[in-house]
Amino acid sequence: MIIQGLAFYMFAAITVAAGVMVISARNPVHSVLFLILAFFNSAGLFVLMGAEFLAMILVVVYVGAVAVLFMFVVMMLDISLAEMRAGFLQYLPLGAMIGFVLVMELGIIGGSWVIADNVDKNFVAPIVAMKTTNTEALGNMLYTHYVYYFQAAGMILLVAMIGAIVLTHRKRPDARKQNIGDQVSRHPSDTLEIKKVSSGSGV
Amino acid sequence: MPLATLPTLTPALPEIFLAIASMLLLMLGVFSSEENNTRTVSYASVLVLIVAIPFVGLVTEGRTVTFGGAFVTDTFAVYIKALVLVSAATAIIMSKDYLKIQGIERFEFPVLIVLATLGMMMMISANDLIALYLGLELQSLSLYVIASFQRDSARSAEAGLKYFVLGALASGLLLYGMSMIYGFAGTTSFDTLANIFHDAHGHVSVGVIVGIVFMLAGLAFKVSAVPFHMWTPDVYEGAPTPVTALFAVAPKIAAMGLFIRVMVGPFGELGAQWQQIIIFISVASMLLGAFAAINQTNIKRLMAYSSIGHMGYALIGLAVAGTAGDAALQALGVQSMLIYLGIYMFMNIGTFACILLMKRDGRMVEGIDDLAGLSKSNPGLAMILSIFMFSMAGIPPLAGFLGKLYVFQAAIQAELYALAVIGVLASVVGAYYYIRIIKVMYFDDPVDELDRGISLEMKAILVVTGVVIVFFVFYPVPLLTGAESATAALFHK
Amino acid sequence: MVEFWWTYIWPVIWILLQILAIVVPLLVGVAYLTYAERKVIAAMHLRRGPNVVGVYGLLQPIADGMKLFFKETVIPSGANRIVFVMAPMITFSLALVAWAVIPLGDGLVVADINVGILYLFAISSLGVYGVLMAGWASNSKYAFLGALRSAAQMVSYEISMGFIIITVLIVAGSLNLSDIVNAQKESVWFIIPLFPMAVIFFISTLAETNRHPFDLPEAEAELVAGYFVEYSSMTFALFFLGEYANMILMAGMTTILFFGGWLPPFDIAPFNWLPGPIWFIIKMCMLLFIFLWVRATFPRYRYDQLMRLGWKVFLPISLAAVVIVGGVVLAFDISPLANAAASK
Repeated sequence: MIIQGLAFYMFAAITVAAGVMVISARNPVHSVLFLILAFFNSAGLFVLMGAEFLAMILVVVYVGAVAVLFMFVVMMLDISLAEMRAGFLQYLPLGAMIGFVLVMELGIIGGSWVIADNVDKNFVAPIVAMKTTNTEALGNMLYTHYVYYFQAAGMILLVAMIGAIVLTHRKRPDARKQNIGDQVSRHPSDTLEIKKVSSGSGV
Repeated sequence: MPLATLPTLTPALPEIFLAIASMLLLMLGVFSSEENNTRTVSYASVLVLIVAIPFVGLVTEGRTVTFGGAFVTDTFAVYIKALVLVSAATAIIMSKDYLKIQGIERFEFPVLIVLATLGMMMMISANDLIALYLGLELQSLSLYVIASFQRDSARSAEAGLKYFVLGALASGLLLYGMSMIYGFAGTTSFDTLANIFHDAHGHVSVGVIVGIVFMLAGLAFKVSAVPFHMWTPDVYEGAPTPVTALFAVAPKIAAMGLFIRVMVGPFGELGAQWQQIIIFISVASMLLGAFAAINQTNIKRLMAYSSIGHMGYALIGLAVAGTAGDAALQALGVQSMLIYLGIYMFMNIGTFACILLMKRDGRMVEGIDDLAGLSKSNPGLAMILSIFMFSMAGIPPLAGFLGKLYVFQAAIQAELYALAVIGVLASVVGAYYYIRIIKVMYFDDPVDELDRGISLEMKAILVVTGVVIVFFVFYPVPLLTGAESATAALFHK
Repeated sequence: MVEFWWTYIWPVIWILLQILAIVVPLLVGVAYLTYAERKVIAAMHLRRGPNVVGVYGLLQPIADGMKLFFKETVIPSGANRIVFVMAPMITFSLALVAWAVIPLGDGLVVADINVGILYLFAISSLGVYGVLMAGWASNSKYAFLGALRSAAQMVSYEISMGFIIITVLIVAGSLNLSDIVNAQKESVWFIIPLFPMAVIFFISTLAETNRHPFDLPEAEAELVAGYFVEYSSMTFALFFLGEYANMILMAGMTTILFFGGWLPPFDIAPFNWLPGPIWFIIKMCMLLFIFLWVRATFPRYRYDQLMRLGWKVFLPISLAAVVIVGGVVLAFDISPLANAAASK
């Protein structure tokens, strides 16, 4: 148990520290790298909780795909942090005030938090000791009880895709494109002519 | 362990139909010839939306729940969905010429409207916080895209971006509120929530109330009620006009339906907690809609403020429905609101059809001054636009007057006299700018003439909406019975 | 004290020993893979290849390693030092870390985790960071262009790889690598039912490891050497080792998914005399030979052709494959998962 405990504190501490660095790093690329570190350690926390499938998916999706695209964009943009921070001091008092109010409110809510009676009855998926692997358990929930949400999320992603294409794709009539079908279906006899040339007479 | 069985799909038949149809439409657009695929897909989309109406109407009475309680169909959903489908279909019809004039004919436009409609239907039928959020996002995401559909115009891009950023913020607020409610109840299902709050007899912790307030803020953003209205004028002005026509009607009605379902359903017992907020939002919207519109010169911007005001009037009904403990009164509130929304739809579609006909030398114009002298150059159009303006202003005996009458009556029954009085005052102020448009059309010196040609579809839309507005007073029965049975579904436990 | 030793110290030592047992042969393998590459390609070019250092040039990789080791590490003045030094380390350690879940034989695996295949997939999808960081930190346009190309390429091909892995999972009914191999013991090697998928998977691994004919990130003629153009000495050596270790890893992954891992081709007398790990290594060597063979045979793809192949050919095919394989498994009721559950 000691090892699990130590591992938890390590992952948790690094996650929090990386989270702080994401917003405080001076270089945006460093911010993205710290974000990745935070994702990675959160995956570690998932593993400690026994949610190995979620841990791996977190790495594959967020670290392996989403953050790569972030990094792409951040690297390509020439972000001047000095410029971004120009208005920082100007808005600081207002921002600090709003932050303070929010923290106070959160304190009030947290302090007086009440949980309804018999909440455990309301859970959709009661946590029971299952003999299956957690991939199987997740699949069983996702494709039956949550199939509606799953499909709805799919529709949202479809819209996102259509939107991205509609808003950015431009037809370039002057661009010359390769037509592989045409190339492959070309026959030598269409373009080549073989002539017997007797020596000395020319074509 | 057996392979699990699928939940029953029949209650969600219209949604499934629209989802599949939208993908087929997408393929139709991709694979049909490039010159007229927009036209083909537009007609097909209108057909799909119209065919979906009988699917929706399959529910006659009662309440069916499926997908583990996440999805509900009842007559309330049928009423709102029918309004949404009709307004989405007319928006596509109205967009046809506009897209061609602006050179943004692309087949994705009608498909995105169909997808947005799907999202609206999903949120109307939501019976769970997650389902609500997913429907709302599907709707919003499609609308963000079509708001900036005219991507080469800076104003359209700005409209889309503004809508997107603020919409994302509103979604964040909504989710934050939901998480608080989940933290209290341990469930996202509306039915379970309703039971929990029923057992609590109106006494809940601060956390839940803050959660409800956050959700209210998120939903108020979607219906563009004050103080979450800032995006509306800019987005309405910047977005392509048929998109504005859609924005003014379908998403508003759908979000109002959602508003009713959420507030009356799970939080119905907590009316004492949220009624005052709704009253405030309603009053603020009515006043802002009335006063801020006075100085406008752009008719789309004017319509934005007008719709903010109308949402204020409609919310009076919801405020009445917040009178906890008196089911008859609550039903009256919701019913008046539903009637108001129905009439609102016809008025707005008609008005936007007129706005879309404002062309000069084949180009769209949208200034109020451009209407000067319309009574001489195109008396028919001027007359029908005057009818809509009178109706919006609430001049008897037009439909708009009756709509207002119903909500004010409900407010008086609920002893919310202040609300009714402010409503009447606001509509008097509002009448000023509606009637100013009529004055410009009939009494100002004509500038250059507007183009005359009106296509057959536009004529049909104008005539139908105009007839409904004028003759509603003689035959209001269909809308009234529809609203009544819709309301009955909500209060029949 | 004794208890402390057995519960805390000894397991750590045991794990370290296991790691060494994997890493040392792996590094030797990497060294001789470079040798094999030069020899094989030389043979295909009708040349002799390295033949001076040691018998048949067998000590050549050692000599190369020594040379790199003793050179000076140059860090460009405009470079972002920390990221610049971290990039090769990440590439190299990722290539090694992945080996933790590869079963070399029945039960011969460091960590037999339930989501082994996902772990492998996750690690291989991280490889792109070494490349991106190197390209960005070098502060050089060649390196940056190389990194961008490489990242786009790896991300694109990962998607179809993921889908192909899903088809294997459907057929095998488990995410555990040992279970996947054992499922092939009960039926046939998955290359037979999933032949087209195996081909696409192999081509995708070529792209994923930036090998020919998809070596655009390095394309000497256009980009000098791509993302590691600014690297020298050990930092370069780490990239180099990482890249070859990745090749071996991908060969191992293909072996497990499609070629029955440690299983002999037929479970009869002469074949099953050889122990499992040997079969595993033989299969990997065959696949590695194909890597080299491809390099000597095919010209480099153009960038748009590369993207076209990934997004317009492999992605639709592999998506369709998921649907078809899933449909067939369901229609003929041969899902191993459901069958196992039924027999429980």
